[in-house]
Amino acid sequence: MRPRARRLLLFGLILLGWFGVFEAGLRHWGSSEAAPAFQGLFTGDPVIGYRLRPGTRTRFATAEFDTEISINNAGVRDDEDIGPKAPGEKRIVVLGDSLVLSVQVSFPTTFTEQMERRLDERRAPGDASTYRVINAGVQGYGPVEELLFFQTRIAQLQPDVVLVAVFVGNDAEEALTSQVKLASGRPATERLRESIVTALRRLVRRSMVLQVLRLRIVTATDRFRGTAGPPEPPLQTYAANPAPRIARGIAFTRDAVAGIAAEAGRAGARTGIILMPARLQLDDGDYGRYRAIIAEAGGELVRHAATERFAKALGELRLPMIDLLPPLRAALPGPDLFFQENVHLTPRGHAVVGETLARFVREQSLLVR
Amino acid sequence: MVFNSLHFVWFFIAVYALYRMLPHRGQNWLLLVASYYFYAAWDWRFLGLLAASTVVDYTAGRLLASSTSPRRRRAYVTLSLGFNLTLLGFFKYFNFFADSLQTLFTGFGMPLDFVTLRVLLPVGISFYTFVTMSYVIDVYRREVAATRNFVDFAVFVAYFPHLVAGPILRASRLLPQIQLPRHITGEQIREGLWLILWGFFQKIFIADNLAPLANSIFEPGTAHAGVNVLLGVYAFAFQIYGDFAGYSNIARGTSKLMGIELIENFRFPYLVRTPQEFWRHWHISLSTWLRDYLYIPLGGNRGGPLATHRNLFVTMLLGGLWHGAAWTFVLWGAYQGALLIVYRWAGRIPAFHAWTSSPSVVARVTSWAVMFHLTCYGWLIFRAGSAGQIADLTRALAGSFGAPAVDVTQLLAPLALYATPLLLVHAIEARYDDLLIVPRLPPVVRYSVYAATFYLTMLFGNFGGSEFIYFQF
Repeated sequence: MRPRARRLLLFGLILLGWFGVFEAGLRHWGSSEAAPAFQGLFTGDPVIGYRLRPGTRTRFATAEFDTEISINNAGVRDDEDIGPKAPGEKRIVVLGDSLVLSVQVSFPTTFTEQMERRLDERRAPGDASTYRVINAGVQGYGPVEELLFFQTRIAQLQPDVVLVAVFVGNDAEEALTSQVKLASGRPATERLRESIVTALRRLVRRSMVLQVLRLRIVTATDRFRGTAGPPEPPLQTYAANPAPRIARGIAFTRDAVAGIAAEAGRAGARTGIILMPARLQLDDGDYGRYRAIIAEAGGELVRHAATERFAKALGELRLPMIDLLPPLRAALPGPDLFFQENVHLTPRGHAVVGETLARFVREQSLLVR
Repeated sequence: MVFNSLHFVWFFIAVYALYRMLPHRGQNWLLLVASYYFYAAWDWRFLGLLAASTVVDYTAGRLLASSTSPRRRRAYVTLSLGFNLTLLGFFKYFNFFADSLQTLFTGFGMPLDFVTLRVLLPVGISFYTFVTMSYVIDVYRREVAATRNFVDFAVFVAYFPHLVAGPILRASRLLPQIQLPRHITGEQIREGLWLILWGFFQKIFIADNLAPLANSIFEPGTAHAGVNVLLGVYAFAFQIYGDFAGYSNIARGTSKLMGIELIENFRFPYLVRTPQEFWRHWHISLSTWLRDYLYIPLGGNRGGPLATHRNLFVTMLLGGLWHGAAWTFVLWGAYQGALLIVYRWAGRIPAFHAWTSSPSVVARVTSWAVMFHLTCYGWLIFRAGSAGQIADLTRALAGSFGAPAVDVTQLLAPLALYATPLLLVHAIEARYDDLLIVPRLPPVVRYSVYAATFYLTMLFGNFGGSEFIYFQF
């Protein structure tokens, strides 16, 4: 072997060795979604890509929270398994992403559990029903995955009501990138490309070092792009003049929600839509920061544009819809509704959302046949 | 364009790829265009100043070279220095003196009500005016031959690695490297890459991570216990060192890749035992500039102890003012001047001299510790926002070490985490007395240092950090 090749090999081996050292160190002392405690929550799925692993119990801690998480036999977050429907039991399923899953708070604190308690507490006199709200949120899911998840796993839970939580911050982008999962008869090359990308993503998600390195690269390229091109996702949904792909992503979201509603209707359930705002829509500091970044990149951020765009597109479905922005805004000023480091709801945010959704289900008579 | 941006990375890759393909004259043209682009990326409006400074001092050099009349030569050098100092004085100090004058008159009950012109500070003006002034003075002193080639001279002034934050280069060192064809060696590439990696580590891992700790102490209107102030000042000491030495290392590294050697600007400044040594190890290009063009012309140490002390004090006072248009910098310069005078005076006492120069462990450790803390107190003055804050922080340092609610671990743990790798590498470098020992270590050791530095920077670096502190000077 040539000396230069030998040196390169040696450097590669040393780089790999240090990779192992930092990976072990970060796994032991660090706390991110790459931690085994968190990654152990997921398992592969041939249709969706991945889902929550049934029967998993773990503890996930970061600087901001320390939570026990249980995944039940149905593959959704719950301390109890889901069996056959009892007489008088009414089931409400909430589909969504990490904002629904809510690993930042204990299970009883999640808005789905709070909603269940309020529905039970405020039963009409003589109403013998029992309510079960099923938290069917999965980290990283978008509208397309939610449709597939409903078709393959959730429909069989016999819901009476299906609520689809649409996160206006990134669901347009998510729907756009995932819509290939719905296409049938795709060419082999495309499937191969997708499986490589999925495998790479899975690899990166499993390594704390790779996750941080990926974040560095994304931040650096975003900052660089910021000086030359339009603002990048996820804030494109809020741009005054968004890229054409945003309209396509919103249309895919509408189609996916329509698909869920159709499937739910066939199973005898009614569907409602929840519009979930991003933190920047409620936090003035966040909004100011993002607005400055977008302005610097030559764009313009419109604070509630994403909500308005989704409301308009999803309104075409004529399904009951609740926008969580007004009730969350009404809770201000006060203690934080969102965590500082991650952008998910705090216990107070969950309380507001739980109360709002319980009222929404009642006012829209979603449980009335 | 800052070194720690992707914009610079792409810029340098493009420039370097072209540079390696071009012949010598083509390389110089490329360096000139690239340097002006680099400067325009900050603020194109000030390109005119850079160009004017270049034209004036090139012309002054040519006139000095062609003239034999001492009177004319004096006139040329005076005109050139007058131009540069006016440029510097107007753009850097106009606001400062106007505001100070206004405050002074208001203090005497005569508020001045004039509209003050708000002058923007062109980045790097303190550095490139010193570079051009040194050239003209050296030509005047006949220590350097005036260059005939305008492009070479323009590259000397605007050469992008040192343009906005130094090192402040002398013509005798840089011009020949620009004038003559360059041969880039494998060793230069190895050393250059290490300096760049190490510079980024110093900036992103050390300086930008310690900045929040230091800022928390210097936040106006906040009160802290003495131990917190002490740790905050330690944090700032490592922050400013990481920031400025990091910049210098990236500058030296990129320049080395192009076959041009820049001088060392820092050499273990926190391991020294006296202020004299400190200024031989901290911002070496500025301290030697001040020595050669200010201290020695003022008389240096040729006029007896009193005159020497006066010269030292004036030099350091102006050195302080060079750092920024604020009274805290003037105060810092005065403090440094006073330290130099006290140590110089005390050095005549045999016991003191032995203490600062003895090889014994006790003398070395104690004299180093005292000097390190004197330096840190200097940084307190340097970083403080006002004389009032200096007084408050000094009071906290002197009198409130026993405050009950001191959370030392929140400051101590990150300080130790971010400063320890620097100290480890410095320990190796100091042991061999060689700032470039790492690329010369056995492959297994040096690759380990490279890999660890890379991972530490990428995983724990603060990538949302600020610009380099010294850009404001």
